[in-house]
Formats: sequence, structure tokens, C-alpha cells
Amino acid sequence: MEVDREDGRSQNQLRPLACSRNILHRAHGSASWSQGDTKVLAAVYGPKAGTKKNENPEKACIEVIWKPKTGQIGKLEKEYEMILKRTLQSICILTVNPNTTTSVIIQVVNDDGALLPSAINAACMALVDAGIPMRHLAVSICCCVARSGLVILDPTKLEEQNMKAFAYLVFPNSVHSVLPEGSLSVQGEPIENGIITSVTHGVMSVDDYFYCLERGRAASTKLSDFLRRNLQQQSTDSSKAG
Amino acid sequence: MDVRLANTWRLSLNEKNFIKTALLSDIRIDGRKPFDFRNIIIIFGREDGSAEVQLGQTRVMCVVTAKFVQPFRDRPNEGTLSIYTEFSPMADPSFEAGRAGESAVELGRIIDRGLRESRAVDTESLCIVAGKLAWAIRIDIHILDNGGNLVDAANIAALAALMTFRRPECSLGGEDGQEVIIHPPEIRDPVPLIVHHLPIAITFGFFDERVMVIDPTHNEEAVMAGRMIATINANGDICAIQKAGGEGVDQRVIMQCLQLATTKAVDITKQIKAAVETYNSERALQKIKHEPTCVATKVKEGQDQTLDNEGINELVGKYMERLKLISRESYASQNINDEVEVEPKSLRRGADSNGIKFSSAPLSWDPYSKGVDPEFLKASVASQGLSTGNKKKESSGDEKPETPGPFEDVNPNSSAVGASRNEMQVMGPKTLKDAVKPKNKRKKKGSSMI
Repeated sequence: MEVDREDGRSQNQLRPLACSRNILHRAHGSASWSQGDTKVLAAVYGPKAGTKKNENPEKACIEVIWKPKTGQIGKLEKEYEMILKRTLQSICILTVNPNTTTSVIIQVVNDDGALLPSAINAACMALVDAGIPMRHLAVSICCCVARSGLVILDPTKLEEQNMKAFAYLVFPNSVHSVLPEGSLSVQGEPIENGIITSVTHGVMSVDDYFYCLERGRAASTKLSDFLRRNLQQQSTDSSKAG
Repeated sequence: MDVRLANTWRLSLNEKNFIKTALLSDIRIDGRKPFDFRNIIIIFGREDGSAEVQLGQTRVMCVVTAKFVQPFRDRPNEGTLSIYTEFSPMADPSFEAGRAGESAVELGRIIDRGLRESRAVDTESLCIVAGKLAWAIRIDIHILDNGGNLVDAANIAALAALMTFRRPECSLGGEDGQEVIIHPPEIRDPVPLIVHHLPIAITFGFFDERVMVIDPTHNEEAVMAGRMIATINANGDICAIQKAGGEGVDQRVIMQCLQLATTKAVDITKQIKAAVETYNSERALQKIKHEPTCVATKVKEGQDQTLDNEGINELVGKYMERLKLISRESYASQNINDEVEVEPKSLRRGADSNGIKFSSAPLSWDPYSKGVDPEFLKASVASQGLSTGNKKKESSGDEKPETPGPFEDVNPNSSAVGASRNEMQVMGPKTLKDAVKPKNKRKKKGSSMI
């Protein structure tokens, strides 16, 4: 069953991705991520001395500040900050710099659907740019379930509003490893099948959700490839300059 | 307390002395002369009313939005303009989230004085019903990167955003004439704000030994002894002067500063206007490309009118990617369109459609082909008012994967292109010969695509 998406994409097609690193001069790490018309800017400062009051001083702490495009900061922004913080905490190696705070600042430049996934991707790239030690990267995707039961990826804002339900999913990136196969798997499953974060809105059946997960996983491989190409390209560029 | 001290950024004594000594010989650390402004780059965002300005390493983004409010009681005939400044912690490690520091408040006040009190934006035109309903314009300034001289960059960003902002047109109607009808952007073009003049802020930095520089960088700001900000427009009217403490400066130096500021203001005004012109012409072109997709869907007889309305309602004139796929079926059946009275949405559209044009298209036209050069498409738009919808689709399909960044970069190169496009449109309503030539070209390209 074909679905008519307004921009002519098929149900599994992502919008054009663009990413650039090291765009800000004062920030230690910065990245700009755009998926179609959604554009997010992320900056990382850190590690700074000291942790916040309620945080564990034996580990590094990550602080996230979400800046919307316009208007005051409300509950939605706080929720995004919390989700982003927990996601990033699970991919960073927190024992390397104990009793420090790394600040991640997200600025929404344009919101055209799939905002949180773009922000997570941008934050990940900014952390790489800043050189914060991480276990693996996180790739994030938005899958939604249409009223007809079809699952489509990477919706625009209009599409998101017309969907029955949608889910933001974050997976670890796919691994190219020199280690023998099976060493990076957890209980027999390769590590990239794990889900780091999943946030759903709306009502969907369990089967639909698993279908979303499958699609999301497949798309995350594509995203991981894009990330890898982007990072490798930029690192060779900087090595030429240096 | 220790933690905050540990985290603040400080310039070392050696660097400070170096900057001061170099300035005594009229040398600045980034290679500029004392009265040189840094390079200004203005980039506009996807939506109307969003602009980003890069002044050397300083980066500021500004977003303008509007909503309905009740006007103030002492000014029932005017709308309101309010400025919110966000010193994002992204820009500088010393900026704290939430609490606005004193420099943030000062920046907000300077821009406020320059824009509102000098009546640069016409607030009386923002009033809809006196005493009851008016537009409130909200300007959000986000500082992204602090490379020095935030006031000037933020001012330019605010002006650029205000000049490209468009509010929906509304009119009074209803039974008693008191109801306000807001027209969606597809029906009626949104209306720009009336900006009378452009107040430009110029910052001067004063150092010891009577040294004065324009547009200080971040390092120079840490060393300087005093600062003065003059907001001047291109006519030489002083809108605001701010000198808050710092080293005492001679009167003659102040007069010299103001004269310098006037010349700089003229330059910067020209740059802003050129950037806005390019943006507006790009926007106009995008609008033309969108409308023909309505025509494309209306090929089946009998279904004309309904498809027309649907087409209009579903099109949001912003994104190139929003295409109607219904035309796929409509093109499969070659229909010769006799009288399709297209409601003229813009001056360019002709009223009748020559059926011959459509008939040739389906033979070699592939909706997803990307081989068409956008330049000659624009030429064909200019030459014949009736834009053939299929060509626009190709161009939209072409540009979708091509440009990664949604911002339209405004550089001298693109402004030249914009000018040439404008020229082509001026030559527009010429002869049918111009229309015929592109069609032949299109056919050739079409066949090569397959």
C-alpha cells in the first residue's frame, strides 16, 4: 500500500541530512544538524569543575539546556532536556572525569518535525567534536504510525500532527569492529539492536510498535553510515590543515 | 565560589599587554585597521522573519513573531514591539542560563531604544481595532557565539529579521464589521512590516593613551577601558547613544566617533538592504513555482474547480518539497484543456491554457527526473506567464536533495544571480516565441532523461 507523502518520499525514505561540526568559535564542541527543514544547533562546553547539588560527585555529570526558537521555556522544553540528558548519560563514559559537569546546549533553529531526534543527533556530533569520551554514538529516528496503519519514517511537522501515533527512537550506532564477531554482543544479540531511548506519543498497538522498532533499526544503520562518513571526512580535512 | 572562579575565562597578562602595545601602533590582533568593521554575513532562515548574522566570529540569530493582544490603554491606536534577548550559554561559558546578566539587559535596552523609541517600525499600522485588538511583534534575539561586539550584530540581525518578516493579512468583516478575519497565507499574501528607517548600532572601544577602535573583538573587549555605542541611521539621525561609565573621553573624540558612525551606518544599511532584496526576489520566485502545481492538477474536466480549491488549500508556499502526486494520474491521460479559467493568483499567470503545451509533456516527462536546469526553468517562467506545472515539479524535485542547508546564503555571488533573475522577469511579457523555444529545449532534455 503506497502512501502519498506530500514531498514525494516513500514511507521509508528519510529527508536529506546535513551536518557540520566545529561551527562555533567559543564553544568547545559544536555541531549543526538538519533533516530536511528541521535544523538544530548544539554546543558543548566541558568538562567544568564541580557537579550540581543533587548529582553524584563520583561520576561526570551532563547538563542539558534546551533553547526553543521563540517563547518562554516551559514543561515541554524541560522534558526534552531530561530525555536528552538521560540518553547522553548512557552513551558517555562517566567514570573518566569524575566531579565535573559537561554542558550541552541545544538551540532550535527551525522545527519541521522530528525535532527531538535531530537534537539528539546534533548533541552526539557536538560531543564528538568536543572530544568527550563516549562508548558509542547514538543515532535517533522518528517513526510514526498513520491512521491507515502504515509506518512511515521521519515525518514533517504537518505529517506528525496527522499521525495516529509516533515514536522517537534512539539506537546505538552500527559498529565496524576489528574484534571477532560476537564479542560486542549482549546475550547473543549484536549491540546495535539495543534501544537506548524510546518516547512515544499517541496510541499504537504492540505489533505496530515492534514494526516501528524494526524500521527504526534499519534506518539507524543508514544514519550511522552517514555519521561515520561525515566524521571521517572532517577528520581528514582537519588533519590536512594541521 | 571556587568552582565559578575555576570556570571563568580570563585573558593572560601577556596577551593584554600585547593587545595594548599593538594598538599604540595602530595594529589590531586580527589584522584590521582601527576603523575597520568586520565582514558581515546575513543569512535568512526558512521562515519569514528569521535571520542570522555573522560578524567575524560573532554569531547572532533573530526570530520575529507576531500575535494578537489588546493594545495598551494609553496608546489604543498602536501595536507593540517587544524585544527578548537570550544570552545563550552556548555563546560564552560565563553566560548563565535563565538569569539574564547585566550585559544582556543592556543589549536589550539599547536595541529597544534604537528600534522602538526612534519609531523605526510603524506601530500604528499594527492596530486592527482601536482599543481592542492589535498586533504585538515579538523579537527574540539568540546569541550563538560571542566573538565580541554583540550589540552591533544583534541590531543588524533584528533589522534583517524585521524587514523580512511577514504577518498574515487580516480584515474586518462579519455581521457587525467587528469580526477579524485572518487570511491564511495561501489565500492572501502575508504583509510585510512598515519600517521607516534602519537604525544601525556602532560600537567604539576606548583604550589608554587616547586609542579608539571600532567593532572590538572579544579579546579587545576584555582589555578596553571604556565603550560607547551610537545608534545612527543612514540619514545621519542619532537614535541613541550609550556610554555607561568607563574612561572619560574628550569631546572632540566623541564628535569624531559620531561622524565615523554615520559613514559606517550608510555602508551597513546598504548591505542589509541588498541582502533583503535578494531574499525577497528568491521568495517571489518560490511563490511562482508553487502556484503552477495547482494548474497541473486541474487537467481533468469537471473536476477542475474542486481540485483547484484543494490544491490551494494543501499547498503551503514555503517548501519546494510539497508536491501533489495526483498529477501523476492526470498526466497519464493526455487531456487537452480547453478553458481552464485559472484564478489569477499573481500577475504572471495567464488566464487560458494552451492545450498543446500539456499534450507534449506526458510523453517524455518523468515526475521524478532531476535533469532539468533550474536556470532555464526560471527563464521560461519569465517568458511565458502561464507556468507549466510539470517543469516546476522537476525543479522542485531537483532542489530537494541538492541543498543541504535550509538557509539561503546571501553572498555577493547570489545577489548577482538574483539581479539577473529580476532582469529576466522584467523582460517577461514578450512574445510567444520565447515560450516556444524553451518548450523545444524541454523536450530534448526530457528525452535525454529517459
